[in-house]
Amino acid sequence: MILSWKRIYAIFQKDMKDLSKNLFVSSIIILPIMMAFLYGAMGEATIDLHYMIINLTLASVTAFIQCAVIAEEKEKHTLRGLMLSPASVAEILGGKSLVSFILTVVTLVVCMMITGYEPSNMLIIVVALVVSMLFYLALGTILGLLSRTVVEASVIILPVIFLFGFGSMLMLLVEKVPALSFIEYLPNIQLIEIAYDVEAGLGFGDVWVNLVVLLAWAVVATLATAFVYKKKEMD
Amino acid sequence: MENIIEVKSLAKVFGNQPALEDVNFNVKKGETFGFLGPSGSGKTTTIKILTGQLLQTSGEAEVFGVKNSAINNGSYRRRIGVLSDNSGLYQRLSIEDNLKLYCDLYDVSKQRMEEVLELVNLGNEKKKIVSKLSKGMTQRVLLARTLLHEPELLFLDEPTSALDPANSKQIHEGLRRLNEKGTTIFLTTHDMSEAETLCNRVAFLNKGKIQLLDEPKALRRQFADGSLTVELKNGQFVTLPGGAEGAEEVYKYMSNNEVESIHSNEPTLGDIFVEITGRELV
Ligand SMILES: Nc1ncnc2c1ncn2[C@@H]1O[C@H](COP(=O)(O)OP(=O)(O)OP(=O)(O)O)[C@@H](O)[C@H]1O
Ligand SMILES: [Mg+2]
Repeated sequence: MILSWKRIYAIFQKDMKDLSKNLFVSSIIILPIMMAFLYGAMGEATIDLHYMIINLTLASVTAFIQCAVIAEEKEKHTLRGLMLSPASVAEILGGKSLVSFILTVVTLVVCMMITGYEPSNMLIIVVALVVSMLFYLALGTILGLLSRTVVEASVIILPVIFLFGFGSMLMLLVEKVPALSFIEYLPNIQLIEIAYDVEAGLGFGDVWVNLVVLLAWAVVATLATAFVYKKKEMD
Repeated sequence: MENIIEVKSLAKVFGNQPALEDVNFNVKKGETFGFLGPSGSGKTTTIKILTGQLLQTSGEAEVFGVKNSAINNGSYRRRIGVLSDNSGLYQRLSIEDNLKLYCDLYDVSKQRMEEVLELVNLGNEKKKIVSKLSKGMTQRVLLARTLLHEPELLFLDEPTSALDPANSKQIHEGLRRLNEKGTTIFLTTHDMSEAETLCNRVAFLNKGKIQLLDEPKALRRQFADGSLTVELKNGQFVTLPGGAEGAEEVYKYMSNNEVESIHSNEPTLGDIFVEITGRELV
């Protein structure tokens, strides 16, 4: 499959312009930034705290924006126009994902600057974050395809924000209820484990298992996206 | 002549509600084909099936000789233009930004965008935000977007239903010019005068079935009862039956020099529709 950068960029440009006028959706980036300010002001931030904000960004900015822009295309019947055009699924979703991706990167950088997070191994953290973003983009896409309106999208995303955004609190629960130990394998928890390992001075050789788990989440979510899209392609 | 659309025994059932039943028709290259029917008769459903947005329950539909299930993949999308009754625009963006996106998606020049904007009479309004447009203007932007890439085959689902007569007329002229240049048009409408002015052939659709299919002129001739209406010089209108009886009467009026004008009473497509289906075309 050959992707047309021109078409991806056209969709990206359109979405950027549209989001800049859609405060209901774009103002979500204020949420993690506000949290970063609040916690940043409380003094020396721990890894748990940095990642509470990072995970919140991934769930609220990455997944929600992706979910909302796709749900709106459905609600306003504009997705059909794109589907009938020469743009392929990958180009349509690629253009839209690029928007969520860039807004996420900007939000993450701002938040990390506020809370003063400087990972000991930037490369590993960047790889882990990018793989995580792929997962959240796919998750947002699926939920966006499943919801019919933007309002529905903003409701359907709440459990995601709760589960992934505040997931580190769930770890406390795991300690009490061993049956919930699968929570450790959630992408947000994996990300925190990577971060701890990195601060302990470990390298790629040590964190690769966690990275593979993250990657598995991203791959499964992407395959699920393709499946849901196929289902929704026809009226 | 070559068939661009071929439909055989097409049926669609939603749940257990039939929306289309045993629909058969062909559209020839270069013709304007009209699908006439009241609301809920299955016009949009037919367009959705033909353009690969919906799968039929049974029967066959081919466009450009390709099964409709395959029209989604491949280069066919570039050859068709679809104006659906639920096509949408980006409400927060200007007319121009909406069309620019499609210029890039279809690899069409910005010069072409200006041309289609002129065609739909929006050349001077392109900076306007779509959410601020009237229904008719929105419809014209959608039409402009559909024509942007100069498709060989146009699917137009009630293209002028939201337009005033002046704008409808302009769109009709535009469509006729496109048709003269070789574009094949599949059009649905419940406006019988639109069908009469534009279509080479029309199909009457009622409750998911095609009741009648022919050229508008042939239909009118077929359903004409041969009666005449004579306007007399004293201002009176007299309707006369066809045949010897009517001829005698006309002879009488004419010999007495009483006739102002004579009209043959050909039915309109709307009249025929009511006669065939017992339903109004609304
Ligand atoms: N997705 C759907 N699910 C269930 N029923 C549907 C669906 N789409 C259409 N129908 C039904 O199929 C029938 C035909 O609908 P269709 O939209 O094709 O009519 P139409 O001729 O386009 O009418 P209009 O002039 O109002 O646009 C209607 O009874 C409608 O309720
Ligand atoms: Mg319809």
